[in-house]
Amino acid sequence: MNGWNPLRHHSIHTHIAIAFSCLILCTTALLSYSTYKLSSDAVTHNSLEYTSQLIEQVKVNIQTYISNMESIAALAMRSNDLQRYLKQNEPAFVKPLMKKQVSQYFNSIVTSRDDISSILFISDRGDEIVSNREQADFNSIAQIKEQDWYKKVIGTDQAYISSSHVQRIFRDEYRWVVSISRELPATDDTIGGVLLVDLNYKLINNLCKQIELGKRGYVFIVDPTGDLVYHPQQQLVYSQLKSEQLDKVLQTWNGSMTLGEGSDKKIYTVDTTSFGWKIVSVTYPEELVGNKRQIQYTSALWGIICLIAALAISIVLSYALTKPLKKLEMNMKLAERGDFDIRVEIDNTNEIGKLARTFNIMISKIKELMNQVVEEQEMKRVSELKALQAQIQPHFLYNTLDSIIWMAEMGKMEEVVDMTSALSKLLRSTISKGDELIPISVELEHIHNYLTIQKMRYRKKFTYSIDVDEDIGNCQILKLVLQPIVENAIYHGMKHKPETGHIRITGKRVDNDIELQVIDDGIGMDSEQAGTLLERKVASKSGNGVGVVNVDHRVKLNFGAAYGLRFESELEEGMIVTLRIPLLRLEGDA
Amino acid sequence: MRRGWTRIRLISVVLLGVIAMGWVGFRIVSHELGSGQKTIIYVPKAIDPTIEFWQVMRQGVASAAKEFDAEIEVMGTRAEVDVDEQIALLQEAIKKKPKAIILAATDYNRIVPVAKEIVAAGITLITVDSGLNGGISKSFIGTDNTDAGRRTAEILRTHVDSHAEIAVINFVKESATAMERESGALEILHRYGNYTLLGPYYSNGSVQTSYDIAKSLLKTKPNLKAIIGLNEPTTYGIGKAIQDLKMQSQVVAVGIDSSMGEIRMLEDGVLLATVIQKPFNMGYSAVKTAVEAIDGKRVSPRIDTGSKVITKENMYSSENQKLLFPFVE
Repeated sequence: MNGWNPLRHHSIHTHIAIAFSCLILCTTALLSYSTYKLSSDAVTHNSLEYTSQLIEQVKVNIQTYISNMESIAALAMRSNDLQRYLKQNEPAFVKPLMKKQVSQYFNSIVTSRDDISSILFISDRGDEIVSNREQADFNSIAQIKEQDWYKKVIGTDQAYISSSHVQRIFRDEYRWVVSISRELPATDDTIGGVLLVDLNYKLINNLCKQIELGKRGYVFIVDPTGDLVYHPQQQLVYSQLKSEQLDKVLQTWNGSMTLGEGSDKKIYTVDTTSFGWKIVSVTYPEELVGNKRQIQYTSALWGIICLIAALAISIVLSYALTKPLKKLEMNMKLAERGDFDIRVEIDNTNEIGKLARTFNIMISKIKELMNQVVEEQEMKRVSELKALQAQIQPHFLYNTLDSIIWMAEMGKMEEVVDMTSALSKLLRSTISKGDELIPISVELEHIHNYLTIQKMRYRKKFTYSIDVDEDIGNCQILKLVLQPIVENAIYHGMKHKPETGHIRITGKRVDNDIELQVIDDGIGMDSEQAGTLLERKVASKSGNGVGVVNVDHRVKLNFGAAYGLRFESELEEGMIVTLRIPLLRLEGDA
Repeated sequence: MRRGWTRIRLISVVLLGVIAMGWVGFRIVSHELGSGQKTIIYVPKAIDPTIEFWQVMRQGVASAAKEFDAEIEVMGTRAEVDVDEQIALLQEAIKKKPKAIILAATDYNRIVPVAKEIVAAGITLITVDSGLNGGISKSFIGTDNTDAGRRTAEILRTHVDSHAEIAVINFVKESATAMERESGALEILHRYGNYTLLGPYYSNGSVQTSYDIAKSLLKTKPNLKAIIGLNEPTTYGIGKAIQDLKMQSQVVAVGIDSSMGEIRMLEDGVLLATVIQKPFNMGYSAVKTAVEAIDGKRVSPRIDTGSKVITKENMYSSENQKLLFPFVE
């Protein structure tokens, strides 16, 4: 009917656990994936950011060094010592002294800074060299002049910044430096020349070497002509064991690019100094991937751990949730088998707790109702028995038979016949089996027989009349309910009345009910007594009321509390007993 | 109340278990990630910081170690000639159970037994610069000495006319390096031109012996146009002799390896050329090869790191500057 449903046969416990697990699985997978994605993106981004910041820092540092050198060069050039030395018209004998002063001035600069390797000036006049060393053994001037820092600065008014190279000014000294040179053009009264400031290469080397870019990453510096100023594996590059994409680097001013394929993939981050050197960092995306793999592992691991934890918790939780339900179910099964003495002990305030409480209440109600039904059935049986007993009281039978005998002796044959036939009919209707409910007309017939007998027995004591509406004759009434009332009227109303009484039986329809009344004008009783007549559970010694109480009981049991007997009485005035029953037409009767 | 307590206890046990599991798992993963380090012991001939050759080789070693994520321990004798100490060092190195040992053997034959021990201990052995008799090592990284010898003779072809006398001064007879260089040089001299070969002579690696040999040759052989020295001290001795006799305009020298003295001679024109090796590349390639061998890759049993002919003209090219004047802190 519902198609194929795999969960149909599983318990709520399983349902909850499966639902939780699915939910958790999806959530964890999603979370783990997004965590991984986010953090790996962050790692990549951060490392690029970090790299470019580092490069920027290196650039700023190197720029600072170089511009310091430039300003030192400018300072040296403008110095009085040098200016005086350059004067054309100074006499020749002061020249050595001035040269010495310049040398001392240069020396004071060099000794104050450890980043300067040497300062020297080569004058146009006779290729004289003035350096920071007063006593120096220079290489040949031709050799010195063929170096780039000299050749390339001639004719420019800009400072020339060389790549890193071995300085060969002093004999047998081969220092690694970066040279900054400037031409001092000759004027009318001064001679020209080239000023050189050598920056210790060690500085740049240390600056770049200390930079850590992952395990394999490194920094290199290339000058605008493609010469490597610094490279940690310069020799490998020259031996073609390694290659750098210098042409692409030289085309880039600032920014990052990824070059190479597969495991050779490198990220180049380039930044350019104001004088054209390019600071390049090389990082390996593989290392980032290595880092990514760690993130991958970690997020997968935690995902699995969370999953296991969540699964365990969901099983525990679903068990805990369904445990009271199971208990309830078990108790319900007991109730199903008829055990209504159970109580479900669930001290929760949640839905299941409420359910359990309701179940408990329901069970106790059912138990109560069951008891009530049992009790009522018992009472019905007893009262029926009593009713039966009431009709065939042996006393009544003996008395009637005595009356018949007595009348026979008197020769009143006609009366004997009447009484005997009435008794016969009375007995037949009493003993007759069959339905509890009989038509009113049949009951009235029975009363008529009964009154005939009684009237003969208590001659002259009372008269009677039956005045019941014809149309209710075929309505149903409980068997033998009127007789005890009439009997009561005779024994308690008529018997002790000196004059002849009258008993009237009426019957009519009132709304949807039927009211039958037995009205006598006997001695009666006070209204208070009459009101409590029915409350007496145990009949008085005189037997007064036993029958009527039983009648009332039977009527109420069969038709409900709204029906039954009502007594109205005044002392010496008589009594009206009203029997109210529902209007029940015989089946098939309109 | 009691049921609440059991539940709390149950949950806390589950949580504890999960945390413990997570921690263990994390340790395993991080351990797995961190176990990539390879320990390599590098045993140069000497750790003397004044010997530039070994300093530069060490730079190459360090550079490759960084690149290939290897952990390097340096164990070296102070002086190049201490063979016994190197043997002792190697025995100590075996006890440290490294993944590989990079060795610059101080002796072609005497190191062989301990080298065999290294291999027997399951340690990858790589020789650098100076190999071992019998090719015990997984790979030998160094200059192709025959080729270097050839180069010394090649330069002379273009500078010396084909009927000149050319002398060759080698350093020792027993050294494989020396023999290889000599055979290379002789091969070229025999193949080209009509040279009259003088020697080979042996200087024993001593400047003075070399000087004496060269001086007597210079004095007695008027047709002598060139002298080839097959290692640094020998070459220096030759240069010194030429300088002292002021014969640089008639006789040129060609050498192998460089030193300050040789550079001076190059600049002064006494030395026509010198063939230099590439120690940085040796160190770098040795570590690279060691790492590859550890990783189980096939490595070439012989790796030539190349040599370079340096003349006065090209000595200051940006490329050669680095080789000739290595930047050593």
